[in-house]
Parts: sequence; structure tokens; C-alpha cells
Amino acid sequence: MTTPQSSPRTPLVEVTSMAKRFGDHEVIKDVSFEVGKGTVTVVIGPSGSGKTTLLRGLNALELPDSGAVRIGDVDVDFGQIHPGRGGRLAKPDRELVRRYRAQSGMVFQSHNLFPHRTALQNVTEGPIVVQHRPAAEADDQARKLLEKVGLTGHVDKYPYQLSGGQQQRVGIARALALEPELLLLDEPTSALDPELVGGVLAVIRALAQEGRTMVIVTHEIRFARQVADQVLFIDEGLVVERGTPEQVLEHPTKERTRTFLQRLLEA
Amino acid sequence: MAVFAVLLALAGPAGVARAAAPQPAHPAPAAAVPKVLRVGTEGVYPPFSYHDGNGNFTGYDVELIQQIGKRLGVQVQLVQTPFDSMFAALESGRIDLVANEISPTPERKAKYDLSAPYISTTGVVVVASGNKDITSLADIKGKRAGQSLTSNWSQVAKKAGATIVPIQDMDKAMTALAQNRVQVVVNDELAVRNYLNTTGNKQVKIVSTTSDKTDSVFAARKGSGYMPQINAQIAAMRSDGALQQLYDKYFGTKAQQQEKQAGNRSSWQIVRDNLWPMLLATLRTTIPLTAISFVLGLAIALLIALMRRSTIAIVSWLARAYISIIRGTPLLVQLFIVFYGLPQLGLKFSPFGAAILALSLNVGGYAAEVIRSAIAAVPQGQWEAAETIGMDYRTTLRRVVLPQAARIAVPPLGNTLVSLVKDTSLTSVILVADLFQKAQNAAAPTFEYMGLYTAAAAYYWVICFVLNALQGRLEKRLNRYVVR
Repeated sequence: MTTPQSSPRTPLVEVTSMAKRFGDHEVIKDVSFEVGKGTVTVVIGPSGSGKTTLLRGLNALELPDSGAVRIGDVDVDFGQIHPGRGGRLAKPDRELVRRYRAQSGMVFQSHNLFPHRTALQNVTEGPIVVQHRPAAEADDQARKLLEKVGLTGHVDKYPYQLSGGQQQRVGIARALALEPELLLLDEPTSALDPELVGGVLAVIRALAQEGRTMVIVTHEIRFARQVADQVLFIDEGLVVERGTPEQVLEHPTKERTRTFLQRLLEA
Repeated sequence: MAVFAVLLALAGPAGVARAAAPQPAHPAPAAAVPKVLRVGTEGVYPPFSYHDGNGNFTGYDVELIQQIGKRLGVQVQLVQTPFDSMFAALESGRIDLVANEISPTPERKAKYDLSAPYISTTGVVVVASGNKDITSLADIKGKRAGQSLTSNWSQVAKKAGATIVPIQDMDKAMTALAQNRVQVVVNDELAVRNYLNTTGNKQVKIVSTTSDKTDSVFAARKGSGYMPQINAQIAAMRSDGALQQLYDKYFGTKAQQQEKQAGNRSSWQIVRDNLWPMLLATLRTTIPLTAISFVLGLAIALLIALMRRSTIAIVSWLARAYISIIRGTPLLVQLFIVFYGLPQLGLKFSPFGAAILALSLNVGGYAAEVIRSAIAAVPQGQWEAAETIGMDYRTTLRRVVLPQAARIAVPPLGNTLVSLVKDTSLTSVILVADLFQKAQNAAAPTFEYMGLYTAAAAYYWVICFVLNALQGRLEKRLNRYVVR
């Protein structure tokens, strides 16, 4: 556990009325939810429903047009932040967004590892270059993280020398190395061959057990049932249903949720 | 444009200097010949102006102006200048005086200060040995004449009705004549006789002289005020016999005999004697010119590539315009603009500085597109991964994007570099003493074109060969993290 928890159910994340449009297309219309500290939230929904955009909004890879998000002690009202010419932010806004982004770590669907750096260097890059931590310390930490995701003995390999599942686990270690409050995972297994999925899910499960706060976008319903404290079903940019795995996955109240789950089971 | 400022600062020992103010219409009162008199001369026009076996300037015009300088107590600094850019060099203030068999045409009289004549000669009509059609100037009507465009002999040929084929040097014209690419050459009698004597060329012959005698004079910018002093020395040399002595040295039959002796080295000896001077020019000029221009060019290219990617319309547009202009105009023209054009706007560079400026800007235009497409080929996910671990734009470029773009960019940039090595040979037209100019200087008095230019080609090839080998190693290194 990285942080002592006086009250395990204090919301670490509060999202209020987040909205985002690309041109005329409203990808996220009005999304609000909370994520308790030390809990796992799984986001499900059809493709194009806005779930990836929601996740990217939590890491400021996309800046929401309006709404407010608080993660830990960083509170951002996106209605007040407007990029200027060329998409640049004013200096105070840039600093705020930087602090906001530092609250979370991101794991991409296609891992996006740096191909010109070894597994170890991928993990130490952020701590050394961005956080300016001593190289030896970052190195130690990176080795421990790589051991934790089951990659002892692979630390000096380049990404191309690793399997897809191993690459994704390096991606998880890279996100953890910056010691974020919140871990975001965007369909971490959907680009993998089926036999490699298990290893990645096992790592995420272990992180859940040690009390990591996570928001995961996934289509793995069985996995969601096992690890989620909360499930959000999103469609057409809105939270259609929200609750425990039991409520949303076993006893959905909305027709759209039922149709989606049915289709997923048939697939 | 920080890079541009750096370029300016590097551009020459003197950096940026103001050009001489435009000359007033009326001559300033007796401006004396300067302590250091910069004299423009071709250096490839024997026996008037050429290089001896040691690579030093010599010739009738060269020795004459050196003697006049000595008598006036000023230092004569000879500046090798191709004939076709001689007057551009004079007007842009790169030289003070031309000593190169200049004839006093009415146009020149109006535009420049001309000295009294120091030698008179007549023109000759030269044809291939087997040619029986042309026996006098009257016969050249409608024929192709190989002439330097800016020389007055081309006016003579044109007036006689010939079609002018521009050929810069008299000796190249003679070769064209022997190869029947032109039918006639009209040129200075003394120069032609010297050519025939030194080469023993039996493929061409003199068939007639032109009726008009032509004087040769020195030329300076209008209002220079040099001519009273220079004319006084010419008159003095005429009366004390020094002028005749000089004439005999270069045009007397005995002199020609000696000249011929000296020119009797075998082709191999001539090439061998010039290998070392050519290597020195390679090491001192060609290679540094290439290296500096390439490094500066890459810096410009990176800047332009990033500007081109900018979301701010005007910035991106400026970069596009730059690339379009550089790639859409000949390098030779760019060199002339920088070296002869910019001085008219008050920006004056040394030959080496101007060469670096023009070559860097040129490389910048070509390499910008290479770098831009290499950056674009780095997946968007790499930018996002860097962003999400908190890197700013600069750090992302430096640590993530450029190392990957480099792998993609190295092969095409290798081509740019090899082209640059060869393009440096163009800088001899803006007076840079590079490898190719050394070859030209050696070839002019000896007429050993094949051997000397082949030797020059070999030097260029060796440089490119070594660069290719280095590029291979670099590519291998950059590919170590990619699936093989």
C-alpha cells in the first residue's frame, strides 16, 4: 500500500458534469461519479460510447470542455481552462494541468513503450527525467516494480524482444514508477493474444488486492466481476448505470445495459 | 531566428561589415590607391593571369600590377575571380581593381575608371585544323563561336554574325573547337599563341587576324581616383624599359621556348605534382565547409521542421515558404545572391562565410522536409506516453521523438550530406579556394584536364565513400532496438 488510509471509502476522485466534444460530436455529455480511495472502478460500454475519452480526461490527454474533476488535493474546473492559439495553455493553467496529470498514471491499450529504451529505462525515464530523482534510487525502484509484474530477467531487453503481455506489464510498471494516487488502464488486454491476457489480468488483480485505486476500461466482464468495487456503464456520452458489479452486471435495470451485456456474452 | 544570428556571427573573420558607400558621381578629390590594393584576376588565363607550378599567381597582367604596386609602395592582394563575375566583384567592393586584359569598351568607359593602355594586341580567328571554310573574320557569319559572354571578343564575333556559344575559359573553348562543338573561336592573339606554344596542340590553327587592335587597361569603380597614380607608373615603366622587359618575358620567342620546356612534364607528373596541394585544399576548405554547413543546416532544418508542424498558421506558412524558395531555386543562384547580392544591401561576407551561409540555408531547406516527415512517422502514442509521464514538449522531442525520428531520417540525410560534399565544388565561383578551384588552377596553364579533374573526382569520391561507410555504422547502431 502506498498511502495510509484512515478512511478507505473517502472519495479520491470526484468527477462532476464532465463534457467533451470533438467538432460537432459530443463524445461525453454529462458524466459524474466518484471513486473511493483504494477501490477499483471498471468502465464498460459499447465502442464509441466515450469511455476512453473519459479516461483520457482524467489524465488530461484530452482537456474536457466543461465540468470539474478533483483527484486527491488537485481540483480542476475545466470550464475555466481554455487553450489559446495553437492549443497552448496560459502558464498558470499549464502548471495546474501538470499537477492534475501527475495524480494519475496511464496504461495504454497499445502500451506505447519507448522502443529505443530497455524495459528498465522505460520505467526509470519518468522518475529520472521528470521527477529528477537520483538514478540509483530510480533504478532500484524500477527493478522492484518489474519484479512485481513478473519480469525479473527481462529488465535489459528492448520492447521488441518482449511478448505483447510482457510489454503491457512494463507499461504498468512505468505508470507505477511515478507513484500516482490513481492508476488508469485503457483496455489493457484488448490488443493481446488470448493466451497472454491472463498474465496481465493477474498483475492488475494483485494491484487491486494491495489497495491501488484504479479506473479500468475493459471488455473482460468476468474480470470486472472479480476486481471491481464499482461498475460504470456508459453509452452515448452518459452514465447509464452505476453500481456494484452485482447491481450492474447481474441485475441491470436499464434496457441498454442488458442489450450490451447480452451482446458481449454472445460474442 | 537565433540560428540565423549564429550564422551571421560565424560568417567570416570580419563578420558583417557595411559595404562601401555608393560612389558619388563626381570623383572624390584624389583618393589615393589604398595601402592594400585588392586586385581581381582570373588566374586561369595564361599567359596574362595564371598559377605557376607552386600554385602562386603569375602572368603578364599579374606581374605588371605587382610592379606598379611596388613602385607605388602599396601591397597588392590578388583575388582569384572568375571572369564572368569580375565586374560584380568590383561593384560589390570585393576587389578594388581588375587586372585581366580588360578592353576599354564604351560601356566600360561610362561605368568604370579605366587606366591608360598597358598592352595592345589584335584578335585572331581560330578554327579546327581541317577547316577550310573559314579563312577570315568575314567567313564566320552564321557559324557557332565559342566565346566568354562578358569578354569583348564575343562582341567582335557577334558583330561578324556568328552565333555565340558561351564557354567561360579560352582553353575550354579550344577543346570545344577541336571536338567540333563550335566552328570558330575569336580571341586574343597573344593568349592563343601562348596556348598553341604550351600545348603543341595541332588540332586548331590561326587563320586570320582581326583588323582592329585592342588595348588592355585596368578597371576600378567609378570615382576611385586611382588612375592618375597608376597611369603615371605605366608611363614610367614604358620609358624606363620595364614594360618592354615584361613583354619579352612573356611574349618573346625565347620566353615561349622556356614556357614550353616547363610545360613538358608528363601528364602523370602534372597530376602527381598537384595531388598534395589538392589534398590540402580538401582538408582545409572542402571538408570544413561541408562539416560546418551540414551541422548548421541540420539546426536550421530542425527549426524549420518544427515551425512547419506548428498549429499557428503564420509560423507554419513561413516554414513552407522557406522550404519552397530554397528547393525551387538553384544553389548556384543562391550562392551568387549571398555573395554578390547581399553586399548591395550592406551585408558583406568573406567567401568562406558566404559559402557557409548559402550552403547551410540550402541544407536547411532540403533536410527540413526529411526531418519533418521523420517526426511525423513517430507514432502519436509516443507523444502521449511522454505526456502522461509528465514530459514537456522539449523533453519529449529530445528524449522520445527525435531519437526515433533519427533512425528514420538518417538514410535520406546521408544523401543530403553526400550531395553537399559535391555541391561545395560550386563555391569556387564565389572565390572559395576549394579542391575544385585548385584543380582548375592547375589545369589552366597545363591543359591537363583529364588527369587533374579525374584526380579531383577521386578525392570527392573518397570523401563520399567514407561518409557512406560511417552512415552504415550509424544506421546499424540506431536500428539496434528494432526487430531484425
